Amino acid sequence: MLKEAAKNSVTYAEHVYDDYFGEGRVHRALYTDAEIFKHEMLRLFGSTWIYVAHESEIPDAGDFVTRRMGLRSVIVTRDLDGDLHVLFNRCSHRGATLCREESGNAKVFTCPYHAWSFGHDGGCRGRPLPKGFGASTDDFPYDLSKADHVESYRGFIFAAIDTKLSLKEHLGGAAEKLDEWLDRNPGSDLVVQNGSMPFEMRTNWKCVYDNAADGYHVPFSHESLLRMLSARYGNVDIAYYEGDFDALPLLVKDLGNGHTMLDQRPLMHADSAWERQHVLPGRESIWSKLNEDLGEEEALKLLNGSTGSGMNLNIFPNLMIIGNQIQVLEPVSVNETIVRWYSTSLTNVPPEINAVRMRMQEDFPSFGEVDDTANFEACQIGLEEIPEAEWVHIGRHMDSRLGETDTDGFWKEPVSTDLHARAYWQAWRTIMESNEGGKA
Amino acid sequence: MEITGAQPGYFDLEYYRRIQRIVGSWMELDEISSDDQPPAEVAEECRALLLHEARLIDRHQLDDWLDLFTDDAAYWLPADASQLDPASTVSWEFNDRRRMEERVERILTGKAYSQIPPTRTTHCYTNIELLAVSENEVHALCNFILNTHRPKGGRLLSGWNGFILRCEEGRWLIELKRVNLLDADAPQGNLSFFL
Ligand code: FES
Ligand SMILES: [Fe+2]
Repeated sequence: MLKEAAKNSVTYAEHVYDDYFGEGRVHRALYTDAEIFKHEMLRLFGSTWIYVAHESEIPDAGDFVTRRMGLRSVIVTRDLDGDLHVLFNRCSHRGATLCREESGNAKVFTCPYHAWSFGHDGGCRGRPLPKGFGASTDDFPYDLSKADHVESYRGFIFAAIDTKLSLKEHLGGAAEKLDEWLDRNPGSDLVVQNGSMPFEMRTNWKCVYDNAADGYHVPFSHESLLRMLSARYGNVDIAYYEGDFDALPLLVKDLGNGHTMLDQRPLMHADSAWERQHVLPGRESIWSKLNEDLGEEEALKLLNGSTGSGMNLNIFPNLMIIGNQIQVLEPVSVNETIVRWYSTSLTNVPPEINAVRMRMQEDFPSFGEVDDTANFEACQIGLEEIPEAEWVHIGRHMDSRLGETDTDGFWKEPVSTDLHARAYWQAWRTIMESNEGGKA
Repeated sequence: MEITGAQPGYFDLEYYRRIQRIVGSWMELDEISSDDQPPAEVAEECRALLLHEARLIDRHQLDDWLDLFTDDAAYWLPADASQLDPASTVSWEFNDRRRMEERVERILTGKAYSQIPPTRTTHCYTNIELLAVSENEVHALCNFILNTHRPKGGRLLSGWNGFILRCEEGRWLIELKRVNLLDADAPQGNLSFFL
């Protein structure tokens, strides 16, 4: 009995969530029930691809960062052959947190408790006083447990504990959109080594994810930003969000498997992304220096390539690409979430470009994310406090017949749609209700 | 609020290097000898300026608070208190004067939901040390305890501040306020006020 349980260490009863979904609506309990949260952490974050790190964060042999897959602490390592591993950060001996640093370079990982040590692939390399170990425990799992599936797509490292899909199959349509995001600067590679902003919020992680391609809230939630900008600078940035903004060439797309995109490029990049972008600290000095050094055309090309990407690309369940940042969702509890905004830079560009990227990446977190957070937290309060009001609306544009298949083959709807929410909830159900693998 | 004619062009790489050198020197500072301290009269004015600065934030008099800063001022809240290079690292805030004004204006629209109601603060500046750099430049270091209140709970923040103070036409003003939050690299809640 015990041995069986040990072999199949995570089992979970079959879940059917029919009662929690209706036409264009989802039930509040999906955001407030601690049992459902527990199931999500086991099943959802345990049996689909989870973004863990970018390869540029661990460029050299022996490099590591510690991250999370749901609530599981993991060590993302690069071994001496350059291969990537995602190890559960839990000593195989008594369970102590093995690695207690956020990043570094290690020859081996040595547990501070009894000094068992482990290689980059999780293999147990040493146990002090070896004479004490005998045949009775030869079959003990001395190596670290780890995510069996680790793959990288153009530098983005994903891991899965239990999945039948390859990363490419999982990414589906999101892969080509990630290509578009990455290919804005030919000849330059993306580097994720420029600090991050971890926001802590008192809300369920899905209150954050709901917003990831929510074009509906923009002029309302961000009214302070829009007012300040238009008073100062006129028609800049996202000032086009006014009146019936669904009539504009902005859209939300369903990329399959719960992945979605909000695309503002038709307006944001219509002319010059950089020139449309509102001012930021250093705009004038850096622009004139680049003009001097490179000529106006080349300078503008580089600046355009580093200005807000105009797309929010969401890779279910925990990766959101916004502007030049990589946003990662870390659920903490049913009503606590950390959202980490990783800043990015480029190789092979003048240092002025990366300096301007830093200031630009401080923009939206400071002027926008803070107000979004206030609303995510307000949603959580409402959902928790009033059990009698049961439903959350995700039905915009279900019946307006304004959706169509775009030239790239993906379904698109006007920007204020809830297509994003409907798409990811469908993926959520597929994973959460599946019995495959018999785990979680 | 009126838009001032602040010169927007000073955030270039040379400026970043200068600021980096100065903040780095604060981190290595040992004892400040009496020779390095400003004359008593100047010291008095500089101390008063810091306390005035704290009081104006606590009272939400942000326009008046801005008046304490030079036209080429900066407000810097790094996302890691040991961070020095603003050209290659992202900060929670690295505002030039214009960005400081934009942030104040945004809050004053009454639609900045992160500041409805405004975060209440009590700034306590202690361990103030002054370093005379020239007749018209003084660097001020202090520890801070910053108690904050919001309807759903507050937080007690702490750390140390570094100020570059400059005398312009007989008046001492703030050229840089660098806030070194003790846990700047840890997840942060609502920081949409001025620390
Ligand atoms: S718990 Fe790690 S060596 Fe004992
Ligand atoms: Fe938003």
